[in-house]
Amino acid sequence: MKRLLKWFAGILAVLLLAAFGVLCYTAGSPRDAYGMVRYALPHMRRGTLRVGSDAPDARLLALDGVNHFHIRERIGARPLVLVFGSFT
Amino acid sequence: MGDIIQIYNDYKDKADFLTVYVREAHPTDEWQMKSNVKDDVCYAQPKTLEQRVAIAKDFTARYKFPLPFGIDDMSNAADNAYAAWPERLYVIDGTGHIAYRGGMGPFHYRPAEVREWLAAKYGAVKHEAPTASAQSSAASTPSPASTAALATTGGTASTTSTR
Repeated sequence: MKRLLKWFAGILAVLLLAAFGVLCYTAGSPRDAYGMVRYALPHMRRGTLRVGSDAPDARLLALDGVNHFHIRERIGARPLVLVFGSFT
Repeated sequence: MGDIIQIYNDYKDKADFLTVYVREAHPTDEWQMKSNVKDDVCYAQPKTLEQRVAIAKDFTARYKFPLPFGIDDMSNAADNAYAAWPERLYVIDGTGHIAYRGGMGPFHYRPAEVREWLAAKYGAVKHEAPTASAQSSAASTPSPASTAALATTGGTASTTSTR
């Protein structure tokens, strides 16, 4: 029984190591692999919006740092292309 | 010009555009990318709205970013509502419904799909194929990694068809 457990643990360790290796290769480095798991993975299944859903509203600050506006205010007769992102 | 800027220039007379700055994807105190160090795009994750405004201003100034711009608040309301981080694209139609929902960036961030959506509605915009010198110039233009989102180089210059 002990011997079986050792084999199981060994195989699991090899599989985990292989998975980590693949992740490192995909992400570019071990550090990026960690970043992907730590920061990106939790976001991959986020959100329930679908085509046809009501567009949610949110209050935004204008680039002048003073005025605020709502996304809803920008929705008119024409389509609104929303581009989300950051600098880095 | 990046894909999004090109799309903006091609369709700004037909559609409205709004860029929403959300929390940083690769700040120095979290998951920093080597490419950002190389491009000198190094910022810690903003802790205040003022810091977000400062970074957004750096971004728009550096890339002469022409799209209308808004900044998500510190509760990340827009990010949470749209599952936006690190980058994502949407098109909202005139009735206030989602007409296009892009995938999570950077792997599923596809401005070409937005271009297709707009082209299907308003007709495609034809561009000349880029010259060798233009390609060389584009390749030397610094460009932050994720941003991809907001200002990557190359892209749609060879999009074809007619308006």
